[in-house]
Amino acid sequence: MMLMQRLFPNLVTNKLCSAKILTNFVLRCTYGLNNVGSDDPGVEIPEKKIVEEKTSLAMRAYLQRATQYNSFMDQQIHEYKIGKRHLANMMGVDPETFTQKDIDAAIGYLFPSGLYDPKARPLMRPPSEVFPPKKDAEFDESGRPFHVFFYTGKPNFYSILHNIATKLVELNKFEDSLRKNNILPDADKKLTSFGSQWLSKEDLEKKTVERLSDHEYKHFVVAIERLLNHACAYKLTEFISEYQKPMISTKSIVESSPVLYTKDGRAYVTVKDCPRKDARADVTVYYPGTGKLSINGKGIEFFDYIQAREQILFPLLFTDMIDKVDIEATVSGGGVSGKAGAIRFGISWCLCSFVDPEVVERMRIAGLLQKDYRRRERKKPGQARARRKFTWKKR
Amino acid sequence: MATHYCRPIFNKNSFSHIQRIICPSYLSTLPKLQIEDVQSSHEETRFKLSNPDAFEVKNMVKIKSLFEAGVHFGHTEGTLDERMKQYLYGNRLGHLIIDLNQTKKLLQQALNVTAHIAYRGGVILFLCQSPLNCLTVENCAKECGEFAHTRYWRDGMFTNSSRIFKAETRLPDLCIVLNTLSSTSKNNSGQHGVLTDAAKMLIPTIAIVDTDANPNIVTYPIPGNDDTPSAISLYCDLFKNIIKKAKAIRKEILNNNKI
Repeated sequence: MMLMQRLFPNLVTNKLCSAKILTNFVLRCTYGLNNVGSDDPGVEIPEKKIVEEKTSLAMRAYLQRATQYNSFMDQQIHEYKIGKRHLANMMGVDPETFTQKDIDAAIGYLFPSGLYDPKARPLMRPPSEVFPPKKDAEFDESGRPFHVFFYTGKPNFYSILHNIATKLVELNKFEDSLRKNNILPDADKKLTSFGSQWLSKEDLEKKTVERLSDHEYKHFVVAIERLLNHACAYKLTEFISEYQKPMISTKSIVESSPVLYTKDGRAYVTVKDCPRKDARADVTVYYPGTGKLSINGKGIEFFDYIQAREQILFPLLFTDMIDKVDIEATVSGGGVSGKAGAIRFGISWCLCSFVDPEVVERMRIAGLLQKDYRRRERKKPGQARARRKFTWKKR
Repeated sequence: MATHYCRPIFNKNSFSHIQRIICPSYLSTLPKLQIEDVQSSHEETRFKLSNPDAFEVKNMVKIKSLFEAGVHFGHTEGTLDERMKQYLYGNRLGHLIIDLNQTKKLLQQALNVTAHIAYRGGVILFLCQSPLNCLTVENCAKECGEFAHTRYWRDGMFTNSSRIFKAETRLPDLCIVLNTLSSTSKNNSGQHGVLTDAAKMLIPTIAIVDTDANPNIVTYPIPGNDDTPSAISLYCDLFKNIIKKAKAIRKEILNNNKI
């Protein structure tokens, strides 16, 4: 002890203090659980008073983190408000009535960006949208977690699996009791997954607020499908439907445009801005008609290529409406095939209003109502075109 | 039959060996300490922590119930881990039989440790790898207000906890592993990953070790069958009851202290 005092005069100021440190040290040694298991513990187990721990290391760390986060957010919100006023002044508008929409417009005007990905362009949004909210504390003052599956790292996901397993056991018991009384589970009530699908991995991640691996998602699907295929699953329709979503109805996508009428009583439908590559077309189809076609004031001869003409005619031939409608189209931008594709797309959508639903379904399956997202492929350096290579000879 | 190697080893080592592990000599030579902050209310209550069997675990474990739950059934002869020899009773029709006398003793010790930890407000984590028994274990943890992890064990759950839980986290104070070895798991030759992780973090472990597992890595090994649902539910009931009991005593004493 004397040595200690000589070595650390500042640290250990008096004998009393150092004695206390030593007692604590020895106490901790005897306090170990090594001796509690045997009949003769060797040392007396100290009857130390137990107290409820009020602030554990984990809780202190959390509180510190929370205050840090809050002060950071306050700072950010303050900066956002100042930035908003500056922007409003730059744009010469009243700062009080400057909305988020105006901010976006001002940023787009003041910092024009040619970057392709919208996420890469400059933005100014409220800090609550930019910085993700922090999780609340998952444990109490003593550091003891609230959730029984906390130590799995994915408590919400695993409690779903736990619930499924519990329900399965319940159903088995129920079926056993039925069979004991010579009653078979009702085969008519058996559930099917027809018309619905399981929550996707992303949906489940959103529901549990946890990141899941593909393997874990597969685990979930296997478990819930086992529950669904149980003979008595009809008892749990509500529970199962929590994890189902309706299959997207294909028919609801195809919503035909409203039919209008000219002064002389002819029905017509207009579809504007039909896209294909860089071309945009406005197409109007009149019904009944005689098969007249006008593209930018010309007939089918607007296109020199046979392929482009075939493109225009294809939806008309497909629905057998070629001599029953009149078509007026104006098209701009793009090249020949783009223009033809844009008009084809417009005609197809217009025709939807004049044909039977079965034909519409056939058109959908044929791909006539599907927007063509393909774009021109870029030219690569070291190559002649997108894919074409320069002529190359070994020697 | 190959019983000859089991009995002598057991007789030779018996409990003096266990005693050595449980109660090392350096601890028994320490002078007895006078603790000043013992409350007078403690002396009034019947409960005495200095009593070696303070939580009365002795009456909880009965050889008959262990036998009925099939705790004595080991794996086949060929799968024996040499380190488990000391806990064997013999061998019948090619299957090893575990000595329930030792199981009983070790189970009592483990229960006592659990009780002491629960009494001091420790966090207890139940672990199990077999899908057959995982619901039992989860329910057990739920009922006694403790924690369960019966799924895939991610490496670094303890050793890298602040990264995985994204915050400073209190780790469990005791891990109860209900099956040490699972034949389906490929990594770590089937041994539950928590055993090495807990050893690294100085967290005591209680584990049911079957005849094919390594008991040396476990702080409080309990030789016994770790596959049969009846055996697992027996262990779960025992641990659940003792934790509940210790917690009830803790609550009572804390209430008394408040008054």
